[in-house]
Amino acid sequence: MQFSQENSLWINQEKISKIKEKYPSVSIEKYDNATFLHIDKSSLIDFLTFLKENLGFKMFIDFTCVDYPFHNPRFQGVYFLYSPEDRQRVGVKTWATDNTLPSITSLWKGAKWAEREAWDMFGVKFEGHENLVRMFLWESYPYHPLRKDFPLEGIQDTYLPSKNLRPEENPAHNYTPYHTYVPTLEDLEETQKARMPNKSSQIVLNWGPLHPGTHGTIWFLFDMEGEYVKECDIILGQLHRGVEKIAESRTYTQFIPYTDRMDYISALCSQVAYVNAVEKLLNVEPPEKAKWIRTMLCELQRINSHLLWLGTYALDLGALTIFLYCFREREKIMDIIEGISGIRLNSSYIRIGGVAKDLPEGALDVIKHFVKDFPKKLQEYETILTTNRVWLKRNINVGTISEEDVYQYGLTGVVARSAGVPYDIRMIQPTDAYDKVDFDVPLGKVGDCYDRYLLRVEEMKQSIKIVAQCAEKLEKMKEDKYIATENPYVLPTLDEVFNSIEAMVKDFNLRIYGEQAPEGEIYLSGENPRGELGFYIISKGEGHPYRLRIRSGAFYNLQIFPELIKGRTVADAVALLGSLDPVVGETDR
Amino acid sequence: MEILGTVIGITIKSLIFIVGMFLAAAYLTLVERKFAGHVQQRPGPLHVGYHGLLQPIADALKVLTKEDLVPDNADKFLFYLASLLAFVPSIMILAVVPFGEPFEIFGFTIYPYISDVNVGLLLALAFGSISLYGVIFAGWASNSKYPMIGGLRKAAVLIGYEVALGFAIAGPIMQAGTFSLKGIVEAQQGLWFIIPNILAFVVIIFAVLAETGRTPFDVQEAEAELVGGYVTEYSAMKFGLFPLAEWYIATFVLSAITVILFFGGWNPLPLLGWLPIPGMVWFFLKLFAVFMFFLWVHWTLPRYRVDQITELAWKVMLPLALANIFIVAIWIMIFG
Repeated sequence: MQFSQENSLWINQEKISKIKEKYPSVSIEKYDNATFLHIDKSSLIDFLTFLKENLGFKMFIDFTCVDYPFHNPRFQGVYFLYSPEDRQRVGVKTWATDNTLPSITSLWKGAKWAEREAWDMFGVKFEGHENLVRMFLWESYPYHPLRKDFPLEGIQDTYLPSKNLRPEENPAHNYTPYHTYVPTLEDLEETQKARMPNKSSQIVLNWGPLHPGTHGTIWFLFDMEGEYVKECDIILGQLHRGVEKIAESRTYTQFIPYTDRMDYISALCSQVAYVNAVEKLLNVEPPEKAKWIRTMLCELQRINSHLLWLGTYALDLGALTIFLYCFREREKIMDIIEGISGIRLNSSYIRIGGVAKDLPEGALDVIKHFVKDFPKKLQEYETILTTNRVWLKRNINVGTISEEDVYQYGLTGVVARSAGVPYDIRMIQPTDAYDKVDFDVPLGKVGDCYDRYLLRVEEMKQSIKIVAQCAEKLEKMKEDKYIATENPYVLPTLDEVFNSIEAMVKDFNLRIYGEQAPEGEIYLSGENPRGELGFYIISKGEGHPYRLRIRSGAFYNLQIFPELIKGRTVADAVALLGSLDPVVGETDR
Repeated sequence: MEILGTVIGITIKSLIFIVGMFLAAAYLTLVERKFAGHVQQRPGPLHVGYHGLLQPIADALKVLTKEDLVPDNADKFLFYLASLLAFVPSIMILAVVPFGEPFEIFGFTIYPYISDVNVGLLLALAFGSISLYGVIFAGWASNSKYPMIGGLRKAAVLIGYEVALGFAIAGPIMQAGTFSLKGIVEAQQGLWFIIPNILAFVVIIFAVLAETGRTPFDVQEAEAELVGGYVTEYSAMKFGLFPLAEWYIATFVLSAITVILFFGGWNPLPLLGWLPIPGMVWFFLKLFAVFMFFLWVHWTLPRYRVDQITELAWKVMLPLALANIFIVAIWIMIFG
C-alpha cells in the first residue's frame, strides 16, 4: 500500500463536526501533520471524557507543556490521544490559567508521570494528582528548567570553591567558584521520602541506581515483606541531560547526534524518527535510495537492539551463555553499521534530506551474507530457551498486561503488541520504504513476559526479511543519489562544498543560521525497538525549534512497572524489567 | 607408641589431603573457566602460562594480596567466622571420603582415605549442614540488605534439599547395610546401586546443584537481583573462600559421594574390569565425569525463582526420595 495522504492519521472532518456540535467553543488548528483542538481549561476533563468515550480516542499517547513567556496565561498543555479503531490521532491544547491544570489521571493512569514531568520542568501544578512530586530532578531543586527564562547553562548559585585554587595572578586557572546546584545526600533522602511517603513493610530495598539488574541507572524503591514487593516506586533522572532544553538552542541538523544518545542501543532508529519529523516540517523529500538505506539500517538496528535485549534478559534470568551467543551476532551487525557509517554505537548517519554517506563498496554483500547466516543462529537461541522448562517457569504469567492497560498507560512497541493491540507505527503510519516492503506484525495473546520474548524473537525474523528485501532493492540503485542536496534545506556534501561556491555559501548559511523552518507544528513518530518514539516540534520560523518534545516509548512502558510488580518477588522484578526493556537514556532524555 | 604413630600418620595424611584439595580446587577453577569459555565460544584464560595453566596461581596471589575490607557496621566476629564456617566443613567431609582401596608401596600399606568411620555418610551429611551456618552468618553479619536476603534464600533452599538428600541416601544404605562409604563401595562389586536407586540419583543431582549454589539453583547469589548475594560485603581471601568452598570443594566432594553411592566408587566400569587400570583412576574418572556434568548444567540453564526451588524440593524431590525407599525395599525383598 502507498502512504498516500498526509494528515491521514489525524482526526477527520466527520469527527470534528461532531465535536463542533457538542462544544461550539472548540477552535481547530490544522497542520500538515498535526491537528489540534483548543479547549477551555474549565471544560477540559469533560471534553477529554467525550473524546475518550464517544469518539474512541481511548489510547493515551503523550502529554506535555509549552512555555510562552509573553502570553497570559503562560503555559499551554498539549495532549495527544489515539483512536485504535479508526487509526486517528488528535491533539488537544489548553491554556493553564494560574499555572494549574486539572489532572487527567482519573481518565488515563499513564498521565501520572507525564504530569509529574510537566511539574518538574515547567512548574505547572495539577489539581487532583495523587502524588505530584518531581519526575527527574530532586525534590529541593528550586527551578523549573524547561521554562524559557531558565538559561541553558543553568543558574550558578552554589558556592563550591576548588580545593586547589591557583594563584591570583594566573587568570587562566581562575575558575568561578559558583556552580549549578548539585544534589546532596540530604536532597536525595528527601526525594526518596517524597516518592514513597508511607512505607508499610519491613525493609525498603534501594534497588539501584547502580545495580547489575536495573539496565542502567534506574533507582527502584521496593517496600518489601520478605521476598515480596508490597509497594514500588521508581526514581528516574540519573541520566537526565535535558535533551529537550538543548534542542531549543541547536539547529535541526545539530540535534541529530543528541537523538543518538537518547536510546543508545538503537541510535539509528531514533535518528530516522527525528529526521523524518524534521523533513515533514521542512517539506524535504529524500531520494528513494536514502529511504531504502534508512529502512534497512533501521531494521538492522532493531535486530541489534533485540539481540542485546535477549542477551541481557537471559543473563538476568541466569542463562549466562546466551548472552555471549547474542553478542557474537550483535558484533556482526555492529561491524556492518561501523562499515557504513563509520561509528559503531552513536552513528549520526542520517541527515536531513538523505543519509550522510553512500553505501561503501561491498556493504550489501556483507549484509546479504548476514541475512543468510542469521536465521540459523536465531534457531540456536530458540533451541536453548523457547521450550526450556526453567525459562517457561520464570516467564509465563509474569507481568501480564491487558489491552486496557495498553490504552491506560500509553504502552507501545512490543509491550503493547504482546497484549494483542496491533499498534505498530511502521504499519499505521509508514515512513521511508516501510510501505513498499513486505512484513508481518506479530501479536501476542496473553501479554506476559513469555509473549514478549516470543514477539521479539519473531520480530527479529521479520526484520531480517525486511533487510533482505532492502538489500535486493539497493543492489539496483547503486548509481542513485543518496541525499537531496538540491533542496535549499539540505546540507551539501563535502565534495560539493569544496568544488562550488554556491554550495559553500549554502553550507555556511545552514550551519550558522540553521534550517529556517516554516512556522508550524508537527507530531511524527517512529517505531523504535522500545516503542513509539514521537517528536513534537513547534517551529516559529527560526533556525531551531521553539519547543521539541520527545515522546519516549520506554518512559511510558516503564510506568506500568510499579503496578505489575506489586505482590510479586524481586526475582520477578528482574524478569519484568527485562521484558519491558527500558533504556535509561531514553526514559530520562 | 602405637597411638603416636597413628596420630602422626593421620596428621600427615590430612595435610596431604588438604593441600591436595586446595591445589585441586585451584585447578578446578581453571577447568571450569576453560569449560565455560568453550561453551561460550571464547578461549577462556589464555595468557598466564601455557594456555592459562598458571592462571589459578595468579588468581590465588591476587586474592591473597587484596585489601581485606570489613564494613564498619558489620558484626566483626561473625563476619570472620562465617567465611571459615562456609569453608572448613566442606574440607572436613574429606575425612570420611575414601578414594580407593588400600594398596602397597615398598611394603607399606597405604590407605587412600583418612578414616573409615562406620557412620561416614552421616558425618558427611552433618558437615554439609554446618556450612549452612556460614551462609546465614555471612548474611546476618554483613548488616546489609542484599546479603541478608541472599543468606535467607540460601537457608530456605538448603533446608528443603537437606531433607530430600537425607531420604535419598537411605536407598543405597539399605542395600549396602552400612553407613561406611567404603562398605557401600564394596557392596557394589556386582551391580551398581544406580539400578534400583535411579530416583534417588535424580534427587541427589538436584540436591547437589542446590547445595553448591549452581544454576538453576543459584538464587542466593543471583547477581541480577542481589548483586553478590551473601558475599556482597566480603573482599579479598574472605571472599575467595566462599566460591572456593561452594563451587569447587563442595561440588568435588559431593560428586565423590555421588560416585560412591551410585556408580560403584573405584569399581571398574562393567565389562572393562580386565583393563589394567587401578581403582583410584577409575574413581577419579567417574568423579570428573560427574563434576563436568554439574558444570554443563550450570553453564546452560537459566535459574529458578526461590519459591519455585523450595516448591520443587518439598513437592517433587521429597516424594521421589520416599518412593525410592519403597522401591529399594521391594527390590531387596525380591533379590535379597
